[in-house]
Amino acid sequence: MKPMNFKTILAMLVAVMGIHCALAQQPHVYINPGHGGHDADDRNVVVPPFAQGDTMGFWESNSNLWKGFALREMLKKKGYKTSISRIRNRTADDLNLSTIVALCNSSGADVFYSIHSNATGAGEHYRINFPLGLYRGYTGSPIVPGSDQLAKDLGVYLLANQSTVWSENNYRIAGDWTFYPDWNNQGLGVLRGNNAVSMLDEGSFHDYYPETYRLINHDYDWVEGFNFSLGADRYFGRLENYSDDFEGIITGNLRDDRLLRNVTWVLLGDDKRQPINGATVRLIDSEGNVVQTTMTDNIENGIYLFKYVKPGTYTVEASEPEHFTQTKQVVVASNAPTYCNFDLKRVRNTPPEVLSYSPVWSEGDPAELCVEPIVLQFNWDMDIEATEAALEIEPAVEGTFRWEDTNYRMVFTPVDAYQTNTLYTVTLHKSACHGGGTPMEQDFTFQFLTQSRSHLNTLALWPREDCQVHYKTPYVEFRTDSLLQSKDLFNLFHVYDKSGTELDWSKRQIKNNKNGDNYGYIRLPLLRDLVPGDEYTLKIEREVSDTAGIHLPAEMNYKFVAADMGVEKPETELLYDGEDASGVTISGTYKSASVSTSTAHLFGSKSLQLKWDFAKEDDTEVEPELLLGLESDQVFTAGDTLCVHVWGDMSCNKLQAVFLPTSDGDMPALPGIDMLDVCTLDFHGWQYIQMVVPYGYSKFSGFHMMPTDSRMGVSGTLLIDNVLYKRGMPNSGVNRVTLDNVHVGPVPASDYIVASADSRIQGVELLDLGGKALVRNATNYVNVADIPAGVYLLRVHVNGLTSTHKVAVQH
Amino acid sequence: MKKLLLLSMGCVALWGAAQQVTVVERTRLLQDVEGPAYHPVLNVDGSRLLFASGEQFGLKMYSYDDNVVTRVSDEAGAGIDAFWGGDGKAYYVTQERRQNNLVFRTGHCYDVAAQRSQVVLEAQHGAVRPMPATRGAALRGNASYVSGKSLGTAVTTQGSEVVLTVGSKERRFTPVDSDAGYLWASLSPDGQRVAFFAAGSGIVVMDLNGNVLAQLGNYEMPCWLNDDYLVAQNATDDGHQFTSSQIILLKADGTFRHELTRPTSMTMQPTCGGGKIVYTTIDGQLHQMKIQINP
Repeated sequence: MKPMNFKTILAMLVAVMGIHCALAQQPHVYINPGHGGHDADDRNVVVPPFAQGDTMGFWESNSNLWKGFALREMLKKKGYKTSISRIRNRTADDLNLSTIVALCNSSGADVFYSIHSNATGAGEHYRINFPLGLYRGYTGSPIVPGSDQLAKDLGVYLLANQSTVWSENNYRIAGDWTFYPDWNNQGLGVLRGNNAVSMLDEGSFHDYYPETYRLINHDYDWVEGFNFSLGADRYFGRLENYSDDFEGIITGNLRDDRLLRNVTWVLLGDDKRQPINGATVRLIDSEGNVVQTTMTDNIENGIYLFKYVKPGTYTVEASEPEHFTQTKQVVVASNAPTYCNFDLKRVRNTPPEVLSYSPVWSEGDPAELCVEPIVLQFNWDMDIEATEAALEIEPAVEGTFRWEDTNYRMVFTPVDAYQTNTLYTVTLHKSACHGGGTPMEQDFTFQFLTQSRSHLNTLALWPREDCQVHYKTPYVEFRTDSLLQSKDLFNLFHVYDKSGTELDWSKRQIKNNKNGDNYGYIRLPLLRDLVPGDEYTLKIEREVSDTAGIHLPAEMNYKFVAADMGVEKPETELLYDGEDASGVTISGTYKSASVSTSTAHLFGSKSLQLKWDFAKEDDTEVEPELLLGLESDQVFTAGDTLCVHVWGDMSCNKLQAVFLPTSDGDMPALPGIDMLDVCTLDFHGWQYIQMVVPYGYSKFSGFHMMPTDSRMGVSGTLLIDNVLYKRGMPNSGVNRVTLDNVHVGPVPASDYIVASADSRIQGVELLDLGGKALVRNATNYVNVADIPAGVYLLRVHVNGLTSTHKVAVQH
Repeated sequence: MKKLLLLSMGCVALWGAAQQVTVVERTRLLQDVEGPAYHPVLNVDGSRLLFASGEQFGLKMYSYDDNVVTRVSDEAGAGIDAFWGGDGKAYYVTQERRQNNLVFRTGHCYDVAAQRSQVVLEAQHGAVRPMPATRGAALRGNASYVSGKSLGTAVTTQGSEVVLTVGSKERRFTPVDSDAGYLWASLSPDGQRVAFFAAGSGIVVMDLNGNVLAQLGNYEMPCWLNDDYLVAQNATDDGHQFTSSQIILLKADGTFRHELTRPTSMTMQPTCGGGKIVYTTIDGQLHQMKIQINP
């Protein structure tokens, strides 16, 4: 053996020191593929064709492990030291969080990556997709310094992934104590007490279904692991350490250039188009040699990957039998991903034609609804622009297009409605073409006749324009001539306060029409009381429609005012307080009726409640009616006011006050009124109603209820609270009743004052200026011989109307 | 019938082996004196307690004799993996990031009598593993520190190996398979057995020749209460946060298990010494417990 000289020994020493130095500078990464096994806490997302629990389907524990493997593979290749918390996916590999932390601490790692994916935890209609990095502590103040930088350095590469579709172009970074405020600073267990510069990454959202399918693909997971390695390189300042021929990767996805996914999920951006399964992707070098070949899988993600590609210029060729082959040139850089997505054009080898259409109508068939959409089903996915332009409808009608079944089906819906009783001719001209550009061979034409009804008609509405609504427990009620489509109907009704803030409904108490009802309705209680005196706006959207899709002719906007109907009324006398129903009688013709007291009230503690059912027997011709008798001795004369507080339920029956003729001491009876209209019960809640008795001399004796010709008044409930009497000023009758051609004379008079008119005079009354009747006579004159001189009023009754005149007596 | 008979015999045997465990003392430690405290470590006679002040801030020592808390180190992470040497001194490791974000770790020794810390292992990149020994302590890494010529018996883990040193002789054992590795090795008070945790298998008790004597279940952080019993943490999680955590008592031969705290108590990180059991809670409340075990 030849003895070594000094130079040789020195060279060996330097080499040994170099190796030791290199090892000393070797970053150590601890990899924690989150979760483990296929248990309840391992995040199984069920997507077809995988059944729940199928370990081949999506499990976060699977994809995390594949990402972890890729990261470990890349880091080893790059000269890192690695440790990993699991290499299998069994329940036993799902280590406790404190075990993982202790393993990391024990390993002496420089950094710790916990690899996960995220979920919204929200309903099916809310899906998002973006990467999220979390570290220990409050945002901006990591417990282990550098952890926020570790996350930032990773985020750059995750967000650059063009194989996915992000819902926002932002890598969110936060401290776990800030991000989970409800966890009482407990944060993420895998970062708790972790001494390494550490983070947990939620790479994407696995309950965003296109991402779910991607995460099932091992190549897609591998790319995320590769990107983690770039994040580590950046964090450790090693991006420049690799030689120019260090390999990069090429990855991307394949989608149809037009065909839309036929699913109901939330889809973002390019994910709306159909991924291409089973496609062959070849990597061809600059000399034409195929250096790698791969295929997309058959589980709806279109992902492909070429690993370990030497830097240089390449051609990527994507082919699939139902699509035209496409090539793209790419340049691969050292230690970098090259993203190359393909939008493949479909091979469409026959001209387009209409396979089916609607409405299908022939002479003699029933007419079609005025809102019936026009639907055309094609044999190919159609070019939207060309096909919409090729549709002609005569008479012309404005409408909107909707495309379904991945553009195989076109739906035209009129903006308003077709004209009634009209024959429409629909023509799709042959210029309509499919996605490949080939037009139809001939025009396609059909006709249909429309019905006589085009819009939904309003039967009743509360609140009405400019009405007053009692401020407590207010309702909106809307009734129509046909049954309303009740699903989510309440969303089309809005009440705004004076500042424009929308009020909430008490959703649990909303009532909708049901099958068998003879009109459509929705009853919407507001969640909170209104403010008396404030103005509100009721808005009903035009889209309110019946079960056939017939909608309102236009949006409805009404203003109404809140009021307190329960305030005390001055200068009135209480006739009935509603506290006791024992003296109240009911009579008439009806199916059933009852009176009682109700705790719903405006005054005192109760109100009078009347319930009735006017349903007719099959063979009866008698019109139903109901008489509600109240004990009252109050005599009303012209100008007096009957005041009543009524709670209505929009039964739309007619309510009248009943009066009986009476005499007054030695004064003879005058012709009195017998019925005075109170209201039609076309409102909801309490109303305060005042009626001036126009003439006569009658005793109030109760109320009379009768149906109108509305289909809504078969049954109902009515509440009555404080019935009041208010003495009228004599001229108040004058104000309400105007009679022409009534003449009174002479003025002044000493013996008689005589009235004349075109019609028969039923009686006259001489009143003092306080409204008190001094003389009453059932003819056209009064004797004033014994009346002291002075100024008086003469009220003249003519055909149920009155006319009041100033007169003078002079002796 | 034969199965039923065997089952009945088994039940009788278990009942016969059942112990009566009574908690004779349960107290809150350092309430209103210290903030959240984690990683408690009792010395052998239970007279002193090391703990991390806050989740990862510094290291403190509580002396039961004079009821005084001493600040040992303010450096981040010092309280994680601190331990007592057989020489009565406390050992701990601190870390700092240096060029290119590599983490360098430094070994320290705290002399309780002198109330002074000194660096015993210069900063180096990579792991520095604690190794308590019956007569001293060691800190092992690329470069190592040994407290004296003879450590007595020492035990630690490295990867999926138990590293046992008796005198100057080091032996390595892999008695059970573990993909992720071993943790929390400790020597029984009589020096005859080693308890450790194997990821994926749980707590294992072996003799000094590496023979498995018992596997106690998938619990963590075992510590010897006496020669026959260990105390451990039994925690569950959903992959992100703890869902339960309790302190349990285990007989070293695997024949008995008893819950010392409820699963919902979120108690964790037990340590034993001088017959005391000290543990913390998820929000850092230190508790002490003494138990009586009747055979």
